[in-house]
Amino acid sequence: MSHKEKVSISAALAAATCSLLGTTFPASADAQEAGDWDFNTSILYYGENDDRVKDYSVKSIARRMFVDDRSLSLGLTVDVLTGATPNGAIRQDVPQTFTRPSGSGFYTVPAGDLPLDDTFKDTRVALTANWQQPLGETSLVDVGGSVSKEYDYLHLGVNAKIARDFNKRNTTVSAGFAYSMDDLDPVGGAPTPLTPMLDVGDTSNRTGDQDKDVLDLVVGVTQVISRNLVVQANYSYSYSDGYLTDPYKVLSLVDGTTGDTLLRSGAIPAEGGPSHQFLFESRPDDRSKHSLYTQAKYYMDGKVLDISYRYMTDDWEIDSHTLELRYRWPLAGDHYIEPHVRYYTQTEAEFWRLSLDDSQPLPEYASADYRLGDFDATTLGLKYGWKTRNDHDMSVRLEWYQQSGDVPGEQIIGNQAGRDNYPDLDAIIAQFSYRF
Amino acid sequence: MKRTILLIAVLFFASGCTSMGVQPWDRDILAKAEMQLTTDELEAATDDHIYFSKEASSGGRGFGGGGCGCN
Amino acid sequence: MTTLTNTRASLAVALLFVSSAVFAASADESNSTLDINAFRGQVVVVDFWASWCVPCRRSFPWLNSMHEKYADDGLVIIGVNVDKERADASGFLQEYPARFRISYDPEGKLAEQYGVEGMPSSFIIGRDGQLVKRHLGFKVRKQQEYEAAIVAALEENAG
Repeated sequence: MSHKEKVSISAALAAATCSLLGTTFPASADAQEAGDWDFNTSILYYGENDDRVKDYSVKSIARRMFVDDRSLSLGLTVDVLTGATPNGAIRQDVPQTFTRPSGSGFYTVPAGDLPLDDTFKDTRVALTANWQQPLGETSLVDVGGSVSKEYDYLHLGVNAKIARDFNKRNTTVSAGFAYSMDDLDPVGGAPTPLTPMLDVGDTSNRTGDQDKDVLDLVVGVTQVISRNLVVQANYSYSYSDGYLTDPYKVLSLVDGTTGDTLLRSGAIPAEGGPSHQFLFESRPDDRSKHSLYTQAKYYMDGKVLDISYRYMTDDWEIDSHTLELRYRWPLAGDHYIEPHVRYYTQTEAEFWRLSLDDSQPLPEYASADYRLGDFDATTLGLKYGWKTRNDHDMSVRLEWYQQSGDVPGEQIIGNQAGRDNYPDLDAIIAQFSYRF
Repeated sequence: MKRTILLIAVLFFASGCTSMGVQPWDRDILAKAEMQLTTDELEAATDDHIYFSKEASSGGRGFGGGGCGCN
Repeated sequence: MTTLTNTRASLAVALLFVSSAVFAASADESNSTLDINAFRGQVVVVDFWASWCVPCRRSFPWLNSMHEKYADDGLVIIGVNVDKERADASGFLQEYPARFRISYDPEGKLAEQYGVEGMPSSFIIGRDGQLVKRHLGFKVRKQQEYEAAIVAALEENAG
């Protein structure tokens, strides 16, 4: 995903680090021997409906084992992104024109269409490195770093976690942290929040680079309940500080009665400019999140049920619930099939607005980013896996991800009521993995 | 207040667990690859990234535990 | 369990080949009692292992070399397997053959008796039948230490 998708949500590449916190080298009987290299590689296609985002990605984790359960993991991910993303403006019954984020061009959206900005085709490269080893008789420690780069974004991060076993290794207590420093250099410069989108070539409301820091902390307990059942509970805290706004997203400034986007004052100049009045969004410069995650894995006669639940709450007043289920069904000859269901729901950020009412004073913070709105999302997927003749693991999975959102009733003004305001999402996820 | 409740929930969950478990020689099922808390790290990392990019929440998973309990 | 049936079938054939080599010198005890007294005067290493225990892949070659080195000095190694399915144990032994005795404790009764606290575990029993040392886990870097404990037990009351 391009940074434009991420930067607006505080812990941009803490996602990379959060997944570092989350993934653990499977302590299973399939583990490898010292001197061995293990390569886990996948190719991924992610494609949204209409002309929206498409992502082609290659991900690879190479792991080398050293004596006595020590390992070095090196990860590489390359994403190629194309497609358009909602820019935050609402649909209108007339065509709309927007200045490109770079300030050096414009694009037009047909009447009735959801405004999408297709400016960026981007490539992102991410690298991770982790060293894991036992510590004493009962502990395991993992330290690592991460870096990622795309056209206008640089992330640097460090992470560390430790786990300690108790009770004949039936209980494991773990703690970890990840710290990232991200630098954002938006094309054209970051716009001053809540100032208008200007004409092509006018960068008077642009400032320069921005940055943000994210700190993630996790503590958890894993408990073996029985021969067939293991459960885990984690508490996470995340604090983001700095530039959390999406520099490319706007809100439509609308008439307080009709709800229609106000036309710009004066004629559009020859080089181009916005047709209506749009204000760049503004988010707070910090964010605190708390999450509680629980998971259970239950083995029944060859089949494995994996169920997890996560609750998240933050000081932007977003609350979310995630419920996820995977059921792995073994087939003959080391093949398996695994259906997957995920249900997600979130409430909107306190400053989420469908549009800005011209007859009201401007709020301090406002964003129309659909990812901070009130929506439900469902994923339905199926994975099929097998072992090759060389005893290597292969799998394919196909998933459908669908988001449908709601605009709080009190935010709908006038003519907006008749329209489909929330940019619902429909995406296909297809991934092929090979581990050798 | 919300945070206190969260913390209590975690502790409550963990508190009754300290004497539970299985004998070290009974971990055959727990040792299987498909019984690890994160079975497919690539899928987990991919999903974490997709959902992080499209939603307002992220992460959650922990580290360590389960498995064969060896060494 | 279909996989297991297939594994069993192919391993039954393999076992016919392997059994003479692997089990010739071993007492194939499927019961949970291990009569240590039968080995009085020798040093016995009782090593609990399982097919799913990754460090056991490293301990087996080492146990084999201990057997090579010290069997003539009175060292007896007994590998007690705790797999629930014999086929799993056989599968492991195919890949990591043992030159020492293998014993089977599928219900874990012997493991419980010895008070196994982690896998793998090994117990060194001296020539007088008393427990000398116990090792939890198998670390390649501690091989010298493990060997020294065996040698010490062999030299104690030797002859």
